[in-house]
Amino acid sequence: MLQKERPSATAGDPAKPILELRNVNKTFGSVAALHDFRASVALGEFVTVVGPSGCGKSTLFNIVAGLEEPDTGGILRFESRSVHASDLLGRVSFMPQRDLLFSWRTVIDNAILALEVEGVPRKKARAEALGLLPEFGLSGFADHYPHQLSGGMRQRVALMRTFLFKRELMLLDEPFGALDALTRAMMQRWLLDVWQKNRRTILFITHDVDEAIFLGDRVLVMTARPGGVKLEQRVDLPRPRSPDIVTSPAFIEIKRALLAAIEEESMKSFAAANFREYAQ
Amino acid sequence: MAAASKTSAGLFSTGHTVLRLVAGLAAIAVAWQASVLLFGIRPYYLPKLSVVLDAIASTPAAYAASVARTAAETLLGYVTGAAFGVLLGSVFFHHKVLKDTLFPMFVVSQTIPVIAFGAVVVLWFGNTLFAKAVMAFYLTFFPVTVNTLLGLQSVDPAQEALMKSFGAPHRQLFWKLQFPNALPQIFVALRLATSLSLVGAMVGEWFGDTTGLGVLLLQATYNENVVGIWAALLVASALGTLFYASVAGIERKVVFWRAEQ
Repeated sequence: MLQKERPSATAGDPAKPILELRNVNKTFGSVAALHDFRASVALGEFVTVVGPSGCGKSTLFNIVAGLEEPDTGGILRFESRSVHASDLLGRVSFMPQRDLLFSWRTVIDNAILALEVEGVPRKKARAEALGLLPEFGLSGFADHYPHQLSGGMRQRVALMRTFLFKRELMLLDEPFGALDALTRAMMQRWLLDVWQKNRRTILFITHDVDEAIFLGDRVLVMTARPGGVKLEQRVDLPRPRSPDIVTSPAFIEIKRALLAAIEEESMKSFAAANFREYAQ
Repeated sequence: MAAASKTSAGLFSTGHTVLRLVAGLAAIAVAWQASVLLFGIRPYYLPKLSVVLDAIASTPAAYAASVARTAAETLLGYVTGAAFGVLLGSVFFHHKVLKDTLFPMFVVSQTIPVIAFGAVVVLWFGNTLFAKAVMAFYLTFFPVTVNTLLGLQSVDPAQEALMKSFGAPHRQLFWKLQFPNALPQIFVALRLATSLSLVGAMVGEWFGDTTGLGVLLLQATYNENVVGIWAALLVASALGTLFYASVAGIERKVVFWRAEQ
């Protein structure tokens, strides 16, 4: 188990990228969602993605989850092999924005959904999930149905479902976006805790700059649509990170750089929207 | 805790509903009996409830046999029609070409009045229980087909994408997501079809039979036996209500999540 321990403050090994995107484009009709997108994610790294709304973050995730094929010509590499997006179906653990729990399934049966799809016998899958309930703050809720849970708990069930689908790369699309500030701060700390114990590679979308810095080894700021990478910012804050790190000078300095980049892009998309309105 | 209190609240409200139902029935019974007495309504228009109940009680065997016969016809047609409807809806869902060619024909088939259809069915299947079941089947399968198709199509695309990202093949997508998701919609049709199938069976009996609620109704009409008409009507509505309530009860058990969302 020792080799699984993560040395603190060390980002993933950049020499061993699990995911690489180069010159990735995606257009829907006449609308370009992604343009010349490039990024690489190292094994074990926690990368956060921020950007103005409508910048193509979700398109990026759909491509990496295998749900959408990028335009031809781009390069998509996964585990050092060139792949089509559709090859990634079933190989990347994807958590969409909404919890998407099945209302006819109990907490435990929602959590084991991916395991069931993989063909793990129900009994075995349930036993495995039961052991994880305390870690996800769901002890005693195994037999509850989604409508009996709070928003934070539903989100934790969805996270548990994502974690139980054991893939090296996890995509989390604004998992805490709908939660109140207090619950969100708690969930962030909890996620770091779980991540440090389980050591997976995480690509995490958010529109909250504090969250992006607090969680990530690296922050990617996306440009306004069509989305590309505007800025790549390393976060060299020591781990484990305590909640008050957000007031440290190092944190503030990173935040200033990120906010400046986002501000510039937001103004662009705002101006573009205004121009379109004016032109009509 | 939350679950426990919810369950007891559920039981309480169920008990409450039954109580209200009984009170409602009693009120109608009293209003019926009292208005006939008070306003001196002639028995030709509306006989006293007590007289109607007496008529049923004096020949219980005839009514019991009729109920049993009609219930058997209805149930046979209903169950096969429901199964066929769910199957057909699922097939249409998976094969768009088949849906586009066959579905319009099924719509046309439903515009044929059941009465016109009844004569043909009796010609084909003779004067049998099966012939009436076919009528019940004919009225049941269509709404179930339509609602099965609608329910299967109403899946949240994001949930479908999630299942695909897990690598789920079509079969699993159907059984783990699309079908359970369609159940609430299917049950709406199943409830509707209870009364339709009963109508089908009773109308079927009009084309010739010796037992059944439709037969009782027809005989009473020919003989201008007003009490007999009302008695048949009362028994038929009791059977229909019981049938509907049973299906609604099964619905609450099967699609429990729907009511609580």
